[in-house]
Amino acid sequence: MKINMPITNNEVVMKPNTILVTRTDLKGIITFANDAFVEISGFTREELVGSSHNIVRHPEMPAAAFEDMWRTLKQNRPWQGMVKNRTKTGDYYWVNANAMPLFENNAVKGYLSVRLTPSRAEIDAANQLYRKINAKEATLHPTGLAAVHKRLAEISLGKKMAISASLLLLPNALLFRELVTTENYPLIGTFALTTLLAFWIMSSAIRTTRNFFSSAVHELYRLSVNEFSPPLNLTRNDQFGDLFRGIYVAGVKLGDDIAQGKQENSNSLRIIQGLKYAECSILITNANSEIIFVNQAAEQLFLRAQQNIQTIIPDFSVQKLLGSPISIFHNIPALQKTELENLQHSKTSQFDLAGHTMQLAVKPVFEKDGERIGYVAEWLDRTIEVKVELEIEHLVSAIKEGDLSKRIDLSDKNGFMKSLSVNINDLTDVIENVFNDINHIIGKLAEGDLTNSIHSEYQGVYAQCKDNMNDAILKISEFILQIREAADFVNTSSQEMASGNNNLSNRVEQQAASLEETAASMQELSSTVISNAENTKNATVVVKSAAQLAEKGGEVVKSAISAMQAINESSNRIAEIIGVIDEIAFQTNLLALNASVEAARAGEQGRGFSVVATEVRNLAQRSATAAKQSNELIQNSVQEVRSGTAFVNETGAALMEIVDSIIHVGTIVGHITAASNEQSAGINQVNQAVSQMDDITQQNAALAEQAAAGSMAMSEQSAKMTHLLNFFKVNGKSSAVYSAKATLATSKPAANKQSVAKSKVVANANFEDWEEF
Amino acid sequence: MSEKNENENEIDALEDENSAKKSSDTSTIIQYLSFVLGKEEYGVDILRVQEIRSWEPVSRVPNVPFYEKGVVNLRGAIVPIIDLRERFSLSKPEYTPLTVVVVLQTGSGSHTRIMGVVVDSVSDVISIERTDIQSAPDFGTKVSNEFINGLVSVNERMVMLLDVDKLLLLETLEQNDY
Repeated sequence: MKINMPITNNEVVMKPNTILVTRTDLKGIITFANDAFVEISGFTREELVGSSHNIVRHPEMPAAAFEDMWRTLKQNRPWQGMVKNRTKTGDYYWVNANAMPLFENNAVKGYLSVRLTPSRAEIDAANQLYRKINAKEATLHPTGLAAVHKRLAEISLGKKMAISASLLLLPNALLFRELVTTENYPLIGTFALTTLLAFWIMSSAIRTTRNFFSSAVHELYRLSVNEFSPPLNLTRNDQFGDLFRGIYVAGVKLGDDIAQGKQENSNSLRIIQGLKYAECSILITNANSEIIFVNQAAEQLFLRAQQNIQTIIPDFSVQKLLGSPISIFHNIPALQKTELENLQHSKTSQFDLAGHTMQLAVKPVFEKDGERIGYVAEWLDRTIEVKVELEIEHLVSAIKEGDLSKRIDLSDKNGFMKSLSVNINDLTDVIENVFNDINHIIGKLAEGDLTNSIHSEYQGVYAQCKDNMNDAILKISEFILQIREAADFVNTSSQEMASGNNNLSNRVEQQAASLEETAASMQELSSTVISNAENTKNATVVVKSAAQLAEKGGEVVKSAISAMQAINESSNRIAEIIGVIDEIAFQTNLLALNASVEAARAGEQGRGFSVVATEVRNLAQRSATAAKQSNELIQNSVQEVRSGTAFVNETGAALMEIVDSIIHVGTIVGHITAASNEQSAGINQVNQAVSQMDDITQQNAALAEQAAAGSMAMSEQSAKMTHLLNFFKVNGKSSAVYSAKATLATSKPAANKQSVAKSKVVANANFEDWEEF
Repeated sequence: MSEKNENENEIDALEDENSAKKSSDTSTIIQYLSFVLGKEEYGVDILRVQEIRSWEPVSRVPNVPFYEKGVVNLRGAIVPIIDLRERFSLSKPEYTPLTVVVVLQTGSGSHTRIMGVVVDSVSDVISIERTDIQSAPDFGTKVSNEFINGLVSVNERMVMLLDVDKLLLLETLEQNDY
């Protein structure tokens, strides 16, 4: 028998309502111990699980007690008794122990021990009993009379019945013999019948009771392995029914407890799984500050820092972390025992752990009744964060000082830190590019080179800056180009003006000579106009006589018209007369015909008369023909006279028009006379004006010479301006020419005049090109 | 036509008449009075002609055919006047001082009738050999064949010879119809 030493006299008292549970296999090796048992025993769970159960045996416990227990258990019976156990440190505690076999498939698989908190009286009684047993003054089981009494009391129900029946039968048999001797047969028959009936009822009651008990026992064992089956006879009204109902209620309650337990178990399983895969690193300890949970994130965190931590804590290992006491981090003040025990609320601290900057939040976990049952520690490795913060700080301060060449090292970063660093580097790149571009452009601008522009792609205010810069360069280029063009234009214009002014001067002289000639011509013109006026006076006289003649002609025409009318009237009379002649001829003809008719009727006697009638008819016909011809002639002459009258009328109208025209000519000639007089006065004025123009022309000639000199000076100034403008280099249509001029001017400063002359030639050639444009 | 030509025509006419006189003994020569209706020339037996008159306004008679112009008083005798131009549907009649009325008579025994016919103009008195008369064809004239005795060519002019009796009889019949 194992004797665990040492022992002390310190008693650890079980808290009320605490249940200590262990399970062992058939050989007494511990397979499970609940937290309460681990706590009170003083051992760690690792020390307990896998060890023989006698690791907690107290040496003062009598061996007989355990022998009794094992004997009972082997009979598949539960055992109950007071047990004194020993803690790791040697202290002791009393428990009210209940041990029973665990069934699985109707076979014993192991043993379950459930220990309840004993009362003080029970402890004292047990203490006395065990002391006596150890002193051989008592035994665990009763001996002598007490043992006989117990054995008698535990005789099975059937045997007891049999004994009682036989005891009852003995006086009956005596009575029966007495009745036989008296030969009272009816009574004998009745007696025998009732006795047999009593036996039959009794034996059936006993049989029923036994069956009932065996099935109740069976049911109870089934309950013990969680195999609850309800088909019990619950409707029975006797005591058996009550028992069945009791069993049934206990079974249902047990099922409910199991379901609740399962529910809570799955709840906590969910939470544990959630924690397991949570992003933040979490350690959980029990009340003894032993690490009982490490989630994946925490494992990875410590795995990363493992090598560094091992320099400080040599036996640190992630694999061994589970189950280790939290005090393994002996250099972390927040995890020290006193610190933890005083902890009431969550507390966050930051410290350096072997080169890793850790942030740690520790929180105690309390039971409902306020009992402290463990700690939750949340770890955060801020090493890279802190490093990146530092790097960004350096970079920003460098940028503040104008150093844009620095960047954040990306090689040791990943995830969010890497993308943050890349973004900051990109930002710096953009700023650097923008400033480089602007620097470059402004530098070139200072050198007079306007051919550059920013081509890089930017966004937002950088794009605005870039666009504005490009626009500014473009605008300046355009201005310079325009100024150049203007200067060039001024140059050529001033030259043209100079030559123009020379021409002007020459022309003004010519104009003066022309003016003198004009003056002479005006004199001649004046004399011509005077003679013209006299001629018009003569013309007036002639016109007046012509008008008188024309009026006379009109009167002649009027008399001619009246004569014509007289002729017309005469002709009409003649025509009438001829008509009369014609009628006479017609009547004569008719008469002659009638005569012919009469002659024919007269026959042979009328023959001579017929000849005469024929002659008369011929004459009548001839006179009719003559009359017809005369009529035609007269009609013709009437027609002629009519047209003659029309002609004469027209002549009269024409003569009247001639008279009017002649009068009109007369007035016109009068106007011409007046105009000639005015002309002569005008010509005098013109003469005066011409002499004034002569004076002015002389002054103009002098001014033109001055203007020529001025334009020459302007030409020289504009050439200088063009030369100055060549300092700027721009993109543009005529930049090539200007750059050529610029190189000529700079490369040959000695032959300055020559180059100027050449450039003029070039400029002229250029203008010829323009003309061809 | 010139005067000279007319004179020649007259001479021809005289010669014709002379030849007619010469052959009158044979009594085969018939004299016809020719007149003009429209463009055609017609002839009637001169013995049927009573008188040739110039047109005078007529007294209108009510309820007679449109070509019967009315009646005139000819020296006490009431003579009906018809317009042949309208009767033969030849031309629109015009009445001028030169319009002529030929007064015709039928000589059928004691029962004689007198009637004036209006023509455009009277042309001539022509003498025709009976043998020169040709029978009328079935068509070609505007006057129905029943009025025409025959056709004769005089100086290359075609003259239709009208049968005065038939003409006047027809008028009577038609009048009777009324």
